[in-house]
Amino acid sequence: MSNQWFIKGVKKGILTEGFPQLPPEKPPLRPSLLIGSSNFKCPVGALDENKWNPEKCIFCDKCSMEMHFTGDQKLFKINRKMNAFKRSLYIYIIDSGTCGACNAELFNIFSPQYDANRYGIFLTNTPRNADVLVLMGVETEGMKSVLEETYESMPEPKCVVKMGTCAIGGAGIGSKISSLEPDALIYGCPPSPYTILEALIELKGDKP
Amino acid sequence: MRYYKFNVRDGYYIGETRQFSIYEKGMIRRDEPLERLQIIPKINDKNHFNFQYGPATGGLIESLDFKIITNGEAIKGIVVNPYVKSRTMRCLNKTIDECLLLVERINGYHSASHSIAFLSAVEDALNIDIAEGTYYGRIVILELERIRSHLLVLKRMCEPAGFGVPMYQLSYINEIITRIISDISGHRYFYSTNKLNRVDVDFGLLSSYIQTLIKIKREFENIFNGLLESKIFINRLQGNGLIKDDPLIGPAARAAGFKRDARSNISILPYKELNFEPIIFNEGDSFGRFYIRGLEISQSFDLCINALERAEQSEYNYSNNFSGEGAARLESPSGDLFYYVNIDNGLIKDIQMSSPSYLNLKSFIKSAINTIFTDFHFNFESFGIWVSEVGVEFI
Repeated sequence: MSNQWFIKGVKKGILTEGFPQLPPEKPPLRPSLLIGSSNFKCPVGALDENKWNPEKCIFCDKCSMEMHFTGDQKLFKINRKMNAFKRSLYIYIIDSGTCGACNAELFNIFSPQYDANRYGIFLTNTPRNADVLVLMGVETEGMKSVLEETYESMPEPKCVVKMGTCAIGGAGIGSKISSLEPDALIYGCPPSPYTILEALIELKGDKP
Repeated sequence: MRYYKFNVRDGYYIGETRQFSIYEKGMIRRDEPLERLQIIPKINDKNHFNFQYGPATGGLIESLDFKIITNGEAIKGIVVNPYVKSRTMRCLNKTIDECLLLVERINGYHSASHSIAFLSAVEDALNIDIAEGTYYGRIVILELERIRSHLLVLKRMCEPAGFGVPMYQLSYINEIITRIISDISGHRYFYSTNKLNRVDVDFGLLSSYIQTLIKIKREFENIFNGLLESKIFINRLQGNGLIKDDPLIGPAARAAGFKRDARSNISILPYKELNFEPIIFNEGDSFGRFYIRGLEISQSFDLCINALERAEQSEYNYSNNFSGEGAARLESPSGDLFYYVNIDNGLIKDIQMSSPSYLNLKSFIKSAINTIFTDFHFNFESFGIWVSEVGVEFI
């Protein structure tokens, strides 16, 4: 009986998909790269002078008459590659004011379909062991000092990733965003596991 | 208001909004502020000390601030601050569509429940009859959301036990459900799927997934039965976090033997036409809550497939300048979720919400007294609490 789970696990075989070497098997339509131009009055101001701004976009589909979702999951921007973390990257998460969807998607990169561990990406329970601080959600009063203390207690070298529209552009929710300078931005509301995984691999200077 | 009456304390207690105490069939204005979520030991034992847990910790999905009063092993008291990540939502004086974008981001994991409860309150204010296909379409997506949410709870309960294989197998199924949701609605969390009298879902495509759903249901039942056979796992849950008295709602209430399920006791969605009967168990501990959720996953697969036959997309062109007030309640995966709206010339003048997580958190701290810290996570996860929906202020 004690080894029943081991046998059940082995019987299932390898369930991990070929992404990112192969294209995503089931990319979501939203969020994905948006193309086109539109005069539509975006409810969160993500269309500035007809140009799409992924930092503010909540992928609500309201502009889809003129704009087009491509399904492309490359929705991130790396400001500084962290080659020091090429072999392993330990993530500490701060939820400063999310709806919970970003949190769930970040945990999803460790599900068998994506298996982020194979790229040396791990979660850590303490900022003392962390290489990267993943910040999710709008800045809230109660979490402001927690965020500052967490960042201060991380060892050098360290980096910051802002994940999700709330953390990057506020997502139209009536609160502020953190002033921490990000080394990477992962767009989406919430970003899909494909986007998060590829962004973290690229951040650590690894090849997919 | 068709579903709710003011100044009526009828039925079981549902929770609190900013100004009202909510019951099964009525709402009463509350003058006092909400009581603090805390239990402090009556005897001031000098051996007790405070242990800070959270708000940022790897053990919890979301930020939550616990001050645990302990003698070293047993939990003797708890003070919870669920407002540590309180968000403000700019909903007042906004149109229904603008407000909906924010409402579905109150709790992303239960976005369909929040948007449908809000829209039902608006439809109540409008006093309009909803197309039958929309009702069944809403049941389909609510049950898909329930399956995914319950799967996450069971997965999170496997984690502290070190049961890696079932945990990853449940994650795998969870991701398949999420991908089906994404395929049929265009979004993995049902954002921008619900509208007034409309569900933007490709029901034809979902019909082609029926065999997949049946296969996943069988796969889930194998994992669930395997967990039920595991004495090591069950021992961690039985007797842990026992609570059998109020305030209880949702799966926690049904696990403790209360027949409380908004799906059976309100007429807002036609669950009765699908011969729905709530599943009841008579253990109010973490095991009871685990067991109820497992059985409800199988039940939700059947409800989803049955409702799909009658689900369809409808259109409703509403006027932009209506006024009225409405209230509605539905069964979210964690329990009763309630919305009240007051609309003036098409703009939101007042919006209030009672989330199941507030009451579940209250029940959790009550149940955690005299348990030991190693049992804490099993107990906490078994309630399916989402902090994001507790601390929301509408401005």
